[in-house]
Amino acid sequence: MNRNQTFIKELEERLDSDGPFSSFQLFSLGYQAEQARIVPSFHGLRSLDFLPHMSFLDHQLETALEAIEKMNGRVILADEVGLGKTIEAGLILKEYMLRGLVKNALILVPASLVNQWVNELNTKFYIPAVSHRKHHNWGGNTILVSSLDTAKRTPHQEVILANEYDFVLIDEAHKLKNHQTKNYQFVRQIKKKYCLLLTATPIQNDLMEIFNLISILKPGHLGDVASFKEKYSGNKGKQEADAYLKQLIERVMIRNTRENTNLKPSNRIIETILVDFTKEETEVYQQLNNMQRGQDIFTKITLLREICSSREACFLSLKKLQEANTPDEEIHSIIQKINELPAHSKALKTVELIEQIGNEKVIIFTEYRATQLYLQWILQQHGISSVPFRGGFNRSKKDWMLQLFKGKAQVLIATEAGAEGINLQFCHHMINYDLPWNPMKIEQRIGRIHRFGQENDVKVYNLAVKQTIEEHILNVLYEKIRLFENVIGELDAILSDLNIQDMEQEIETIYRESDSLGEAEIKLENLASIVHKLADDMNEKSVGE
Amino acid sequence: MAIVNIEQFMIDFFSAYQCKLLNKENGVLQVELTEELDKVLMNRPFYWHYMQNLGQKGVPMTLTLITNPEKRDQQGEWIDIGSPRLQQIFNHVTHHEKYTLLFQEVNTDKNTPLYPWLLANFKVSYRGRQKKEEIISLGIQLVTGKVIVNMMDELNKLNLKQQISNFCYTISPIITLASGYKRIEKIIQHYVENQPKEWINEAIETRNEEIALLKQFYKDDLENDIVKKELEEIHNRYTPEIAIDVTSGGLIYLLQQFPEV
Repeated sequence: MNRNQTFIKELEERLDSDGPFSSFQLFSLGYQAEQARIVPSFHGLRSLDFLPHMSFLDHQLETALEAIEKMNGRVILADEVGLGKTIEAGLILKEYMLRGLVKNALILVPASLVNQWVNELNTKFYIPAVSHRKHHNWGGNTILVSSLDTAKRTPHQEVILANEYDFVLIDEAHKLKNHQTKNYQFVRQIKKKYCLLLTATPIQNDLMEIFNLISILKPGHLGDVASFKEKYSGNKGKQEADAYLKQLIERVMIRNTRENTNLKPSNRIIETILVDFTKEETEVYQQLNNMQRGQDIFTKITLLREICSSREACFLSLKKLQEANTPDEEIHSIIQKINELPAHSKALKTVELIEQIGNEKVIIFTEYRATQLYLQWILQQHGISSVPFRGGFNRSKKDWMLQLFKGKAQVLIATEAGAEGINLQFCHHMINYDLPWNPMKIEQRIGRIHRFGQENDVKVYNLAVKQTIEEHILNVLYEKIRLFENVIGELDAILSDLNIQDMEQEIETIYRESDSLGEAEIKLENLASIVHKLADDMNEKSVGE
Repeated sequence: MAIVNIEQFMIDFFSAYQCKLLNKENGVLQVELTEELDKVLMNRPFYWHYMQNLGQKGVPMTLTLITNPEKRDQQGEWIDIGSPRLQQIFNHVTHHEKYTLLFQEVNTDKNTPLYPWLLANFKVSYRGRQKKEEIISLGIQLVTGKVIVNMMDELNKLNLKQQISNFCYTISPIITLASGYKRIEKIIQHYVENQPKEWINEAIETRNEEIALLKQFYKDDLENDIVKKELEEIHNRYTPEIAIDVTSGGLIYLLQQFPEV
C-alpha cells in the first residue's frame, strides 16, 4: 500500500505563508473534474463514456473488452481486412490510458500508414499521438508512431531498447513471423507492458509462424520450441485435429471474420461489364495473338493483357521488345497499327460508367501505369476530375492525393502498389479496370472501401473485353471459383491445401510452361475446377457442422 | 459521473477566472480569455514572450465552444466529455485548485465562533490485472475529533467564502493538522483493508501462471537476459498495488452545528 504524505505538508506550508488558496467555486470544479475522470470499476470499457462521437460495432467492443479483461493486454488482433483492427487497437489503448495504466506507447506501422495512424488516434480517440518524425525523440510520456524500419535502425534501435514502454503495437505483424529476422529480434527485446500485434493473416504457411508471434506476447504459452516443432512444424494435416492447440491460440488471439460480424458480403454488389472491341482493335488483338515471334507464350500473354487495358501499355512493351531484339517487321507493323487506333473501347466504357454513376466518388484500379496516365487524360477530356495514386509516391504526396480525392476530385486512379492500407470508406464505387490474376488482390482492393465505416452498399464493377484473354480469366478465376461469394479466408485455406502460395505465380507458371494458349487454358480450367470442388467440400463440411 | 452539464461546468470555470462571456446560447459558448487563461490553454508561449519583449499588451484569444449536437457544424470547437480542450481544463483545475482555506458565511450581529475542519479528498486506486479508483471525501473537526464522510456533499449545501464574515471568530485547533490527518488516513486504511480481495488473488494467480510458463519455455537457459526482462515485465503487469492519494483538501471554518440535519 502506497501512501502520499505531500498533501498535508503542502497544506501546512500554505497556511503558514498565507496561501495561495482556491475559492470554493474553483476548488469544487477541481473535485468535479477528478470525479468525472475516475474509473469506478475493474470491468467494462470506461473509454466509451469519453468517446460519445464514435459508434462502434459489436465485434469491436467485444474484442476490446476481451483483449483487456481476459487476455490482459497481450493479444494478436487478427480480424479479416476491413473489420476495423485499428479501431479495436485505438479503443484498447484509450481504455488503458484512461485507467492510468499506459502513459507512453510505441506504435510501429508500415511507413505509408504512419500519418493515417496519427490522424485516426487523434481525431477518433482523442489520443495525442505524434509521429516520430515530428517528435525526434523516443522517450517521455508520449504516444509515438513510427515505421518499424526507422525504429530498428541505428541509433534509434539502441535508444528504444534502453526505454520502457507501457504499450507497444505492431501493425502488419506478419512481418515478424520468422524468429531469425532483425525485425523479430528487435521487437522481442523491447521492454513493454501491454502489446498488440495486428495482422490479417496470422498463419500463412507454417504453424511455427504463430508460435513465433505468440512468443513475443507470452513465451511458453504454446510450450517450448523443441517440442512444438516436433509436434506441429510443417505438418499441416495435424493442426485441424489438435483442438487443444486451437484453444490455446484462442487465448491470445482474436479473429473476427465477415461471416461472424454484421459486415457481410451481402452488401457488396458486383457487376461484370463486358466490352466489345471495335473492328480495328480486334484486328490488332488477333495480330498479336498470331504473332510469329511470340514463341514465348508468357510475353504474348502479357501483350494481350496489355492491349485489353490500353494502347499505351501495349505500345511500351512492344517498344521494349523491339529495342531488345533485332528489328522485326511484324512488331513494327503492329506498332504502326496501334498508333492508328482511336480511343480504347474499355476506356470509353469507363467514362460512360462514371457518367452514369453521377456525382459520386469512384476509385479505379488498373495494373498498368501507362493505363493510369491514359485514363487520367481521357477522363479529363470528358470533364471528369481525377487524381493518380501509386506506390512510388512519397508519403506526403500520397496524403495530398487522398485529400484531393476526398475533397475536389471525383475519381482516384490507383495502381496496386499504392493501395495497401489506405482507407476510402467515403467512396463506394469501385471499377476494376483490369483484373489481377491474384484473387487476394481483389479482396485487398475491395477492402479499401468495403470496411468499417462504410455506410452504403459497395458497388464493384469488373470490366473485361469480350472474346479476349480477359473474358477467359474472368470466367475461370472469378466466376468458376465464385471468388466474390466465397469468403477469402476459405480460399486462403484451399490454396494452402493445394500447396499454392501465390495464385498469380501459379498462373504465370502455367502460361510459361504451356506450349500454346489452348494448353494453358485447359490447365487453368483444371486448376479452377479443383479449387471449386474443394470450396464445395468445405462448404458442405461447415454446413454439416 | 459527477459532471452532468458540461456547458455549465465551462461557464463556471471561465467566470471563476474572470473571463468575459460574450455569448451563451443553446449550447454555444463564446468566451474572451484573460491573459492568464490564454497562457494556460492556448499553448502559444512565443506570442506572449514576443509581446513582452515589445513591451506591448497581448490580445487574448476568444474561444467558441459548442456542446449542442445540432450546432456541431458551426464554426468553433466541439466539446464533449472526452475532447482535448475539456481534458486540458480538467488537468488545470485538478493541478492548480487543490488547496483551500474557507469560512462559512454567516449573517449575524452577535459574536459567533467558527470551528476548524480539515477536509481531505482521497483517491484510492486498486491495481491488479485491471485498475479501479474511488474518491472518498473525509472531514475531521480539529477540536472534538468528530469525523464525517462525504464532506464535499455537505459543504456544497453551505455558502463558503475566502474571508471571514463580520462578528465571526475562529476557534483554534486542539488537534494539530498533522495528527488530524493521521486519524483520517487510518480510517481510510482500515476501509481499504476491509475491501474484497478477489482481485488481489486473481492478479497473483495470473502472475504465477505466467512465470511458470516462462520458466518452462526457457528451461535450459534461465539466466538469459531476455528471461530477466520477461520476468520483470510480468511483475510490472500483475503485482497488486493499492495507492492512497489526496487529490485536494483544505482547512475550513464552520458553525458548530455542522453538518446540518
